[in-house]
Amino acid sequence: MIRIEYQTQRLSLRFFMLMLVLFFFQAGFGLLLAAQHIDPSLLAGTLNFNIVRAEHTNLGILWILSGFIGAILYVGPLLSKRELAAPALIKFLFYAVIAVVIWNVVAQLYAQQGLALWYMGQPLLQEGLEYLEGGRIVDVVILIGFAILCYVVLRTFPKVRDWNEIHWGLGLGVMALTLVWIFGMFFVARLDLQEYFRWYVVHYWVEGVWEVIHISLVGFFLVLMFKADVKSVGFAVFWGIALVWLSGLLGNAHHYFWIGTPEFWQFWGSLFSALEPLPLIFCFWHIYLDAHQDGKPVANMPAFSFLLGSVVLEQVGAGILGFTMTFALTNVWSHGTWVTLSHAHLALFGTFGMLGLAAAYYTVPLMRGLAGFDQRPGRLAFWLVFTGMLGLGFAFAIGGTVQVFVYRTLGLDWFGGDVAPAMQFAKLLVPVFGLVFMVGVCLLVYDLLTLGMRAHASDEAAATVAPAGWRRPLSGWETGLWLLGMWIFGAIITLGLLSFNLPTVREGSKLFPYLMAGIGYPGLLLTTLLFVARFLRSLDARSQVAPDLSGARLGHALS
Amino acid sequence: MSCAPGEPCEEGLKRRRALIVLGLMGVLFIALSAASFLDSRGQVVPAAVSYAGYDVVEGKRVFQAWNCMGCHTIVGNGAYFGPDLTKLYGKVGPAWIEAFLPSAGAWPTRGAVQLQLQNAAIAAEAGVDSIDAYLGKYPAAAERITRRGAHATQMPNLPLSREEIGHLIAFLKYTSSMNTEGWPPTPRVDGLAFAQAAPASASSLPAPVAAQPSEPASQAARGADLARDTGCTACHASSSQRLVGPGWGGLYGSEVALADGSKAPADDAYLTESIVAPDAKIVAGFAPHMMPAYDTLLDEGEIAAIVAYIRSLGGAHP
Repeated sequence: MIRIEYQTQRLSLRFFMLMLVLFFFQAGFGLLLAAQHIDPSLLAGTLNFNIVRAEHTNLGILWILSGFIGAILYVGPLLSKRELAAPALIKFLFYAVIAVVIWNVVAQLYAQQGLALWYMGQPLLQEGLEYLEGGRIVDVVILIGFAILCYVVLRTFPKVRDWNEIHWGLGLGVMALTLVWIFGMFFVARLDLQEYFRWYVVHYWVEGVWEVIHISLVGFFLVLMFKADVKSVGFAVFWGIALVWLSGLLGNAHHYFWIGTPEFWQFWGSLFSALEPLPLIFCFWHIYLDAHQDGKPVANMPAFSFLLGSVVLEQVGAGILGFTMTFALTNVWSHGTWVTLSHAHLALFGTFGMLGLAAAYYTVPLMRGLAGFDQRPGRLAFWLVFTGMLGLGFAFAIGGTVQVFVYRTLGLDWFGGDVAPAMQFAKLLVPVFGLVFMVGVCLLVYDLLTLGMRAHASDEAAATVAPAGWRRPLSGWETGLWLLGMWIFGAIITLGLLSFNLPTVREGSKLFPYLMAGIGYPGLLLTTLLFVARFLRSLDARSQVAPDLSGARLGHALS
Repeated sequence: MSCAPGEPCEEGLKRRRALIVLGLMGVLFIALSAASFLDSRGQVVPAAVSYAGYDVVEGKRVFQAWNCMGCHTIVGNGAYFGPDLTKLYGKVGPAWIEAFLPSAGAWPTRGAVQLQLQNAAIAAEAGVDSIDAYLGKYPAAAERITRRGAHATQMPNLPLSREEIGHLIAFLKYTSSMNTEGWPPTPRVDGLAFAQAAPASASSLPAPVAAQPSEPASQAARGADLARDTGCTACHASSSQRLVGPGWGGLYGSEVALADGSKAPADDAYLTESIVAPDAKIVAGFAPHMMPAYDTLLDEGEIAAIVAYIRSLGGAHP
């Protein structure tokens, strides 16, 4: 096993632990939202839906950021071959994040009394803008926190001329993270202008910054886990980042279709955001190549499962489901409905959440100095949250399709009387899969919090598994076919959304969109589930060698 | 793309090329953005809209302070739990929203909307002064009254102040006049003709808010019907529970503590005065100007019937 080479890497542990606690509460708020969707009178007047939702979205962002910070602090010294700069600032950052979380959770409650505490035209407590609900006080503290992160990362990194692509990705990523945040710090009187700038933060964070940090971190964890050549990963990271920014900069236009901005955005948004899946396909392909380059067993299966889940759900949630609703002709129907929830949950939790969990599973055993650990709870937890999230994506997509038809095509706008009853089946499915997800969350939070503190149960008996059938090695051709299958179902979903424009549908026939959604969504999500099962099984057949948690000879890999 | 020693190093060049292309796209993006907010675009701005003396920007602050977007959507962005509010004002008109917002827990009745039209400023904003003309001009308001009137909503009663309601409606008037490039698409069919539309009297609907009187006296029964149709029960519960205004259960004959520190007995005269001139005596703990005056909408007999209904809901008889 590798020992922790730089002591400041250990500072990442506290951020991973914080991430797990926040993740638990965020998922809990999500379950409460699902219950309130079924019974809107639940806690009405005590903890209204909008409060619970603000807590859910904000904690989601905060735990993902905690995971990013943890992962960046862990890899920073490895990338720089020296200790992190200013460890005292990092300790301060940790307490600042906790203060921000507590302050914001409480501040959101004031939306129930309509109290924003306006001062000099700015809302100090909370500002009721989706994803940016935090008030100005918390905004400023977060900005300072980002500045600290920038300072630490940039001071730790070597001179710019010695940067490789991963340095570039992380360096630009943390700077852009800070810069873009500023656009959310003003009250804007015009609704169209306010939404224009709100998407600067939301879209450019996700599409421009988080994605870049994600690509860089996935690349580096592949280097760590598979001794992949940093040069070949660097190549992937370069093209990944270049494509993300070249497609994402103008791709933001897909948020400017209907907010009061001119029609020409429909052309630019449809064109460029249709290119947004390209870097994701690139990333997807690379995890296959790197995982299969030497055929050696994977030492830390929970970590790799979450890393694979992150890249696959990025492909499915962000890439494919994002693609289906990115054209003006499909977006005009999906916009403002549950259809978008399916994309948002799979993309945000899948891509970014699973990366943080992968990083935690990779680093926590190393930081606790474990020679080996019982991987079964981690693997089970992966399957529970993965299945739970795919199920949630399915429920949201089906509910969304019904909502589009009833609300937009038929024009029925009584949510209590017409729309919600029509969506009842999907609304009931949400807490079912939500519970599966929650069980997985509890298991993985418990497992990671107590890893190394429990008696070490013996690992699975090393029964020899023949690498045949479902466990035979995964070839590039087969991977390509799986990916093709996902995109075919994605095309069916896209045609289903397009079909809302057909005269027959507009005159009240729901057959075509329901049929396409009924084939497309289950097809896509089941293909995803089976592909990940197939991928992990093919790796299982290798794992007959005593696990060596390091998986990487860092000196070689980083040279 | 690290450069190995001895190999030709081209990564700097590739990075520069990528950044140049990115820069060009940035220029294009900024140019498109600038064109989006030019005056010549003709998009409505908050300063161009006013509503009965209330302010659009203040309304936007109210909209954010209550996190309306946390349940509803506006220009399609938000939480998808409640309906989109962008075009609501244009569909249902000002009087319906005025009737709805103080007591969002129940759908407004015809009487409640009619009462709002007695206010000259609201009638001027609506462009009509009779309820029939209003319902003709705003069919969506008529549909809401017919199908949902007096039923419970899924929205909690929010303690909005009179000022906040006015500003909020100003904001909704602004969003309603925004050009959103044809979104949301206009339905081509009458959705009410489809099976998905809940029938008005279906048992699956939320129960009407009005409760049956405990004394089946004909006067009190008439009062109960009037109280529901006029929209009283959107704010006043038949129990002692506080909805928006004080509950009616056990009210009659009790001593009511007033905001000015004095007390008043809840007798016929007090209740009648509270209906025709609500701001004359404000109950302690409640805001003034929340309840409209019903003197023009109800005649003496109708008011007496409602008082009889309140009397039938119990309390200490003097």
